Amino acid sequence: MGRPEDIRQAILDYASKGAKTKFYFKDMLVGVKKTIPDTNVSEVKNMASEMVREGVLELFSTGSSTLYGLKGRGISVEKSGDTGG
Amino acid sequence: MKKYNTPLIDDLEKGPWPSFVTEMKKAAKNNEMANDAVGHLEKCYSTKLGYWKHGGIVGVLGYGGGVIGRYSELGEEFPGVAHFHTVRLNHPSAWFYTTKALREVMGIWDKYGSGLTNVHGSTGDMILLGCKTDALEPLFAEYSSRGWDLGGSGSALRTPSCCVGPARCEWANYDTLDICYNLTQEFQDELHRPSFNYKFKFKFSGCACDCVASIARADMSFIGTWKGDIKIDQAEVKNYAKTMDINAEIVNMCPTQCMSYDGKELKINDGECNRCMHCITRMTKALKPGGERGATICIGSKAPIVVGSLLSWVIIPFIKLEPPYTELKDLIRKIWDWWSDNSKPRERIGELIEVKGMRSFLEAIGVAPQPQQIKEPRRDPFMFYTDEDIAKFKANEAEEKKTGKYRF
Repeated sequence: MGRPEDIRQAILDYASKGAKTKFYFKDMLVGVKKTIPDTNVSEVKNMASEMVREGVLELFSTGSSTLYGLKGRGISVEKSGDTGG
Repeated sequence: MKKYNTPLIDDLEKGPWPSFVTEMKKAAKNNEMANDAVGHLEKCYSTKLGYWKHGGIVGVLGYGGGVIGRYSELGEEFPGVAHFHTVRLNHPSAWFYTTKALREVMGIWDKYGSGLTNVHGSTGDMILLGCKTDALEPLFAEYSSRGWDLGGSGSALRTPSCCVGPARCEWANYDTLDICYNLTQEFQDELHRPSFNYKFKFKFSGCACDCVASIARADMSFIGTWKGDIKIDQAEVKNYAKTMDINAEIVNMCPTQCMSYDGKELKINDGECNRCMHCITRMTKALKPGGERGATICIGSKAPIVVGSLLSWVIIPFIKLEPPYTELKDLIRKIWDWWSDNSKPRERIGELIEVKGMRSFLEAIGVAPQPQQIKEPRRDPFMFYTDEDIAKFKANEAEEKKTGKYRF
């Protein structure tokens, strides 16, 4: 179990320093686990949801799949080859 | 309101069928967004180009899905479609609406959006087509204040859907409506806060007629079935024989050839029956499912978005589906854990099972291998053997070859 403030910081680090400005939840989880190996999916998910509500993170959806991103980092609208099903 | 000249799409109004162009034009009379959508469509047809941008950061507070961003490159020429987001509204179980509820949905939608809908999208939701970004929050606030909710989209649990079940159908082997509603309530977090690697769908069919096509469209398909003999009313069979060639239309069409009819009596070898429903649906008064009722759970179907299409594969041959569905909910969570831990982004569970094997999947979810899980004859016996079993077999084989006892 990771402490909430440590998980928050690990998510922030991943979102702000990674090469990709939009990333899948799974990639973020792997990134967070590098810093806090004993954290679990629901802890990261709950913290990420809270950070979305606070406006720190934002969700990018193609309709078919969803990516996370740090608010304001990268582009906010883009083309996708997805069908949106 | 600008009047668009639309010779190309007018062509789609000809012929005996209903036309979406006619419906769009009706909406366009009272709505600027719908009017621009008509002009935009004509432009797409005339230039043979699509101008839609797909996806984006739009949604309502606290939700990670239910809204899909759509933008047009031609926002200046057609301002009404510059933002034209799709909103998914969670449909009631089996799409039972009262006219009052439909008027409520449309009243709110006409106030905030284009008035255009897709009833229903392939996932099942009521699809509201064309909402501006700044109208999303007030639209959602008004819907939610009246008990409506958004559906699922993105890497999340999608809005569960079910057939009409016991509400209108005598063949339902479990209460599809209740389980659909119950699991929708149970998994609200998974529906509204995307944290899966890709989409996940439940679909509930009360029998093997599979009216919601769960076998082909759901990551987890629930198909009603029964344990026991088909009940035969021989007097009704005789009545059917007056208007029907029972041997040609029923007996010879049986996929397992488990039926016979000598002109007097219909016999079924129930041990060989695979409960396909063909005979029951053709002789509704004469045949009925008998015995214990429940469902078969299958896993892994999908349409060919990333890689090819798959049909669902049996994992639980028979389960009684009754509230509060505790055993089922535990199973679902185990399935999600294994899928989350092992899949790549945008990999469906069916694809992952193809990669990792049914054996690993069954071990992870704690379900014993059973003959009914074999997908095709002579193909899947590997699932009954562990890695240790195979190592032991190979060691034995090597030993036999060394000692000259090897016989194959």
